[in-house]
Amino acid sequence: MRKAPPWLEELQARFGAVLRAPLERATGTLTASPDSYDPITVEATLDGPMTSRSERLAVYNRQYWFRLFGVLHSAFPLVCRLLGYWAFNAHGARYLAAHPPRGWDIDDVADAFASFLEGELDHPSAPEREAIVEAARMDAAFRAVFRAPPVTPFRPSADDAAHLLDARLVASPAVAIVSEHSALADLRRAILRDPSERKLPFPTAWPEVRTFALVRAEGGTGEIPLEAREAELLRLLDVHTVREALGLLERACPPDERAALPSKTELWLAHSVQRGWWSGMLS
Amino acid sequence: MYASPEALTRLERARGLPAEALGVGLRVPHYRYVFEHAPAVDYFEIISENFLGPGATPRARLARLSASYPVVLHGVGLNLLGHAPLDEDYLDKLARLADEVRAPFVTDHLCWTGAHGVSHHDLLPVPYTQDLVELAAERAAYVQRRLDRPFGLENLSSYVTFVGSTMTEWEFYAAVVRDAGCWSMFDVNNVYVSSQNHGFDPDAYLGAIDFSRVLQVHLAGHAREPNGTIVDTHDQPVADAVWALYARAWALGGPFPTLLEWDANIPPMPDVLAELAKAKEARGT
Repeated sequence: MRKAPPWLEELQARFGAVLRAPLERATGTLTASPDSYDPITVEATLDGPMTSRSERLAVYNRQYWFRLFGVLHSAFPLVCRLLGYWAFNAHGARYLAAHPPRGWDIDDVADAFASFLEGELDHPSAPEREAIVEAARMDAAFRAVFRAPPVTPFRPSADDAAHLLDARLVASPAVAIVSEHSALADLRRAILRDPSERKLPFPTAWPEVRTFALVRAEGGTGEIPLEAREAELLRLLDVHTVREALGLLERACPPDERAALPSKTELWLAHSVQRGWWSGMLS
Repeated sequence: MYASPEALTRLERARGLPAEALGVGLRVPHYRYVFEHAPAVDYFEIISENFLGPGATPRARLARLSASYPVVLHGVGLNLLGHAPLDEDYLDKLARLADEVRAPFVTDHLCWTGAHGVSHHDLLPVPYTQDLVELAAERAAYVQRRLDRPFGLENLSSYVTFVGSTMTEWEFYAAVVRDAGCWSMFDVNNVYVSSQNHGFDPDAYLGAIDFSRVLQVHLAGHAREPNGTIVDTHDQPVADAVWALYARAWALGGPFPTLLEWDANIPPMPDVLAELAKAKEARGT
């Protein structure tokens, strides 16, 4: 098949740079800066009946940013409303400059935003850092579970069961273990019902952390509350063999909890398998 | 342009839909209504890229939808006029999806969307030149063979034109479709938007369309910015001027399947269907 003419590659390189030109924040709104556009690209286009060639290019420049901001807003609704759109978009602009979209799936552009945001907030003076990081992890978990591929749940055979203790269970991508120190999940649900852009206050912190399994459900996601030790076990099982995980959990427990632990861990393990939270095991 | 009886027979086979079919571009807020009420819609169009990934939830919804309605695929990521070669992995996925939903046809845009490894996720124009007619036609013909079903190209709405163009947009569009042996996915709103932004006569565009190669016609709403630019926002009802242009297209080349796109500020499905029903008034049927 024929190759594109060389001039097209150059035109697209220059036009692409105009599209990705950062929007100006100094005026208090996100504004295109047509004066900063590559003059060769500007000269390659024509004035319109109502607007200059630079103003016409600015339509594409704004569309590029606002379309991608929209993807981040949809993927991180909780973070967006807690930070406020203006502050969120400042993080988003830096993120998108470092991680421009690479593939045909526009939603993929949000893949690395949670970890990028953690890095951006990695400063002791960053206000509400822990709550924002927790919110970003929660948004990322909802997104990952929703986007997970179909999974066949792991149903151990008799032979699997015989080797289970020294195997590592493979977590289903359609399940995430999520912790919250305040009512973030409730707030997230409320945000999805309320399309406003109003910045929201951080919910009051609870005295203790709450953990739940976020699972794929009919038409969306569901939450199954977990006991603290159960959540700890599931997290250990994600990176250790079953035997190692059980040992680590036991050592982490105070002596008065240890007697009841074997029967509880057996129950938790059985529940996790019955609910399809594993997709296989690695011997 | 009127079609011969042979061309019309070929066209009916390519469309795989009733000639006067009315369809809706399906978006996420519609799913619940569609599954609960099974509205009387002749067909739905989906955005291909929303279903090419491995996600189980979108795929399950699509399987349920395609069990009850004809589904056609409309892409925004082919990058037909990118400087780089076509993405074969993308085409593999698109072909599988088309087979999966038994899509009568697949469409995308006569544009570029990315370059140098960056995808801009916008439908971007090029200078209208003979060398790009040849490039686009060769690639579109390849895509049609690759998908093993009719492939339609959509005309853009655009906000810039280039000094280097040697022909009009409609000459470029018509030449690519003709030389590729593919089909038109003709967007009437886009013609109106571009005609206002660039100062051309939309009826000149209509006059260049070979309606015997039009798989379907798109309608959508647009918005006017304070500086006069019309942006193809798909966020409101179809403008009166676009309905009037649609009526002239119908008189010139109808019947053709017609589909309404509504992508932002999406109203409830009954409102979308009420807007779509205006097409019958515009046709005078």
